[in-house]
Amino acid sequence: MVYVKWVFWGIFWTVVIGFLHYTLPQHDIVRITDTYEKRVNPGSNALFWSNADTGEDPTATERDVFFIQTFRTNEKPMIYRNEDTGWGWPPYFKFNTSNLQAQASDLMSKKSAETAQWVAIRHYGWRNEFFSIYPNAVRVWAVDGPEVRIIPWFNIVVLALLAALAWAVRVRWRRFWRGRSEGSRDEWSEGKL
Amino acid sequence: MLALMRLVIFGLILLTAVYLGVSWYSRRSRRRKMEADWEATGRPGDRDAYIGEGMAQYEASLRRRLIWLVYIVPVSVIAVIIFMTNFR
Repeated sequence: MVYVKWVFWGIFWTVVIGFLHYTLPQHDIVRITDTYEKRVNPGSNALFWSNADTGEDPTATERDVFFIQTFRTNEKPMIYRNEDTGWGWPPYFKFNTSNLQAQASDLMSKKSAETAQWVAIRHYGWRNEFFSIYPNAVRVWAVDGPEVRIIPWFNIVVLALLAALAWAVRVRWRRFWRGRSEGSRDEWSEGKL
Repeated sequence: MLALMRLVIFGLILLTAVYLGVSWYSRRSRRRKMEADWEATGRPGDRDAYIGEGMAQYEASLRRRLIWLVYIVPVSVIAVIIFMTNFR
């Protein structure tokens, strides 16, 4: 039975951490080398594409998606997609895809450039070559250099609030069941009447 | 705009459930406190009248009105996120 318990909690924590890691924003310092749009036909990886309803027909099976092609500070490539999340999940409420693409194009900087333009890119999601999935870029802005460090205040606050919520639920849950097991304690059982 | 309707409708249902839950919980804790108070102060007068008076005070209290934050906070958070993501 103890293995069942381990497996249960193992799966539980994998799902929770995976979900948060996918959904919460992260920052990369990159050099944008190109921006383009490409026809995509999401299949079994459709879960990792947003296809939000922001005016267009979300039932169309083929559509064009913006991409931002970059190199990270370790000179490894990273490709971001640039899609609206609209009113759906995850709740970034991103509607400015085209504007973001314009900003990204404006910040391009190739390897041969005399002084490289480094850019911070906020994104959520995962890059996985086997499933053809890409993180979704949310915001880009120019930074001074590749050593810039961005403190994830938003994630700190969200994770602290989540932990507080989980703790509050846990404490009440335990108190509830302890109250049950000890039986009722009122003026009748305490002999005050 | 179907997505917006879906968010608004399900959001409203969820927040209303939370509102009703919190307001039930808050009222119940206040009532329990009044019951304990009545005993602690030496059982003055009629128990129901004592509790009823306390509950009437609760109905007019700031604490009860603060439960409206259940609606106000998420809507404000969404408005701030929309601004921060798209217009900054």
